[in-house]
Amino acid sequence: LFLKKIEKAKPLKCGTFGATSLQQRYFATGDFGGNLNIWNLEAPEIPVYSVKGHKEIINSIDGVGGLGIGEGAPEIVTGSRDGTVKVWDPRQKDTPVANMEPVQGESKRDCWTVAFGNAYNQEERVVCAGYDNGDIKLFDLKTMSLRWETNIKNGVCSVEFDRKDVNMNKLVATSLEGKFHVFDMRTQHPTKGFASVSEKAQKSTIWQVRHLPQNRDIFMTSGGAGSLHLWKYEYPAQRSKKDSEGAEMGVAGSVSLLQNVTLSTQPISSLDWSPDKKGLCVCGAFDQTVRVLIVTKLNKV
Amino acid sequence: MPVWLREHSWRQTASAVYLSLPVRGLRVTPGSIFCTDRYLKVSIPPFLFEAVLYAPIDDTNSTAKIGNGTIFFTLYKKEAAMWDSLTLANANKEKLQCVRENAVLKAHEKAKEEAEAKKVTKQEHKKYALEATMKLEEAERKRIEDLKEKERQKVTKELELWKKQQEDAAKQKRVQKEGELHQEVEQLKERKKEKMNKTRVPNEGTSKTRLKATKGHGSYSMFSENLKEEQLPAPRSAATIKINFTSRVFPTALRESRVAEEEEWLRKQAEARRTVSADLSELEDLKEEEKNPEWLKDKGNKMFATGNYLAAVNAYNLAVQLNNKLPLLYLNRAACHLKLRNLHKAIEDSSKALELLTPPVPDNKNARIKAYVRRGTAFCQLELYTEGLQDYEAALKIDPKNKTIEKDAEKIRHLIQGTTEDS
Repeated sequence: LFLKKIEKAKPLKCGTFGATSLQQRYFATGDFGGNLNIWNLEAPEIPVYSVKGHKEIINSIDGVGGLGIGEGAPEIVTGSRDGTVKVWDPRQKDTPVANMEPVQGESKRDCWTVAFGNAYNQEERVVCAGYDNGDIKLFDLKTMSLRWETNIKNGVCSVEFDRKDVNMNKLVATSLEGKFHVFDMRTQHPTKGFASVSEKAQKSTIWQVRHLPQNRDIFMTSGGAGSLHLWKYEYPAQRSKKDSEGAEMGVAGSVSLLQNVTLSTQPISSLDWSPDKKGLCVCGAFDQTVRVLIVTKLNKV
Repeated sequence: MPVWLREHSWRQTASAVYLSLPVRGLRVTPGSIFCTDRYLKVSIPPFLFEAVLYAPIDDTNSTAKIGNGTIFFTLYKKEAAMWDSLTLANANKEKLQCVRENAVLKAHEKAKEEAEAKKVTKQEHKKYALEATMKLEEAERKRIEDLKEKERQKVTKELELWKKQQEDAAKQKRVQKEGELHQEVEQLKERKKEKMNKTRVPNEGTSKTRLKATKGHGSYSMFSENLKEEQLPAPRSAATIKINFTSRVFPTALRESRVAEEEEWLRKQAEARRTVSADLSELEDLKEEEKNPEWLKDKGNKMFATGNYLAAVNAYNLAVQLNNKLPLLYLNRAACHLKLRNLHKAIEDSSKALELLTPPVPDNKNARIKAYVRRGTAFCQLELYTEGLQDYEAALKIDPKNKTIEKDAEKIRHLIQGTTEDS
């Protein structure tokens, strides 16, 4: 059922509905020229909000505070090849409300992915950003500081919290060379950071990870070889323990593969679950097809 | 010579002949009995019994029972007739021989036929078994396919149902909202009338514009929106967070890597270590370790450290004679010459070192910085300040963070400016 085709001057890289209310349904997009635009799809000629946010392509975008999920102000975060991560509020024109940029003189690294999390009340928010040199940084927007950073050696293609609107529970980061890491975000050790478990799944890049909206321990990863893998995370017996100095340290659980399927020879670059029907998902691949899939028996997992 | 068994007794009916042959104490096996349609032979070496039968018998159906010290033959006649005797009379040797041979041949043929028949049946059995297994597997596969099909249909049905539900729900909502909108509009009209009596003019104005703005789709949401906006927190106060990135040494991101150049540098290094200069005649009286340029370099370094610069230079000279492709030798010798104030030689050696330190890669960064600095110092001491400054700036370009180089460069600049002012 093809409804509408809207074409804009610059190619679009990413988009989200995350920061808009259920009635307005404005679509926020980032394009190859570094512009952030928010469109009303009923009247798409002129964007509702527009700003030239970055000097280079916006690689990734995420929204929070809309769709009836979570609390607090609606915000959009964009990560770009110019190495900066900026947080925007659609009510404030032209300037971002938060800007994470490299120190003067530091050579910049591309930011490949961004995600919101920990938005369980009106003040708390964190942004997680993944870069092409394997850096993962966690920024706390309430204190406007860098809360945690780590490096997973391969470029980070996708990060996602299992739920944006709860006290941060788990974070999955996927990278090149088929690896992904699951971090347990409930316990932060002062030096060791967060505990993690990692899996090497496919021989190729894992382009995207998405958690099932109805069950936050199930997530799907999409790979460069055109395959989708469905995983389940199991919590350990004790999620945190004390280390030698008595500081709390997280314990990572384990990940098991539930099912996998190969749909195409080209990478599947993008994937999303339906919030209404459990198991309904859509994915887009480099072979110019959009596929709608349904995963069954998720109740029995 | 076989021992003939002569004691045998027989009787007959119209259709069969019963022959009993005592074989006391002898071990009889089925192989010792040989029978065709005209000839019967029992051979238990050295005993032998044979009979050329009066008339042909049906040898396939005839039986021989072995037991109790006798063999009991039941031979079924081909033609139902009474025999005059068990065996043919006037059987001369040749005839016997013929009959024997025939019998053997016949037996052979029979055996062959039987073998073939067996083979054929075996084949057929195999085929049958194969077909049976194929059928079973097919059935299994079909069962699984059916299960899958059922599951698929179930799920599509569920999906259809869910879609319908959504549509119905959406329709209902729309109807509801229109009803509500109607109500709200009327409520507002009433409120307006009330407000007319009060002095709140600006509010009236705004509520008027709100009404005017109601059109089409998203209008009913305006009210709920405005209320909600008052509940949302104000936009965050803008702030910036500065970040650092973890540096990437070898291997670097592919598009930034100087792979080709790094490979070249590694290759050069490997080659350099391997070359040994040709002229070994003078060096024959040296000890084994003294012929190793690496060892000589270390010796030179030690002597430099203790302050014995001439000895260090000697060591490096010898090393260079052995292997003139190692840049570090020239580099260190340059340092010695600086200390000895052989400035021209220092410049020469630093230049040679720099030559050998191409292509420029992160690996030989430190070496190149040292070479530039030493050459720069030498130039300055010769009062060729501009050349010196050039070298210092080159060193600074490689490593912009080095404070000593910066300071020295500044000093030289001042000196140059000082001299130009004078002249």
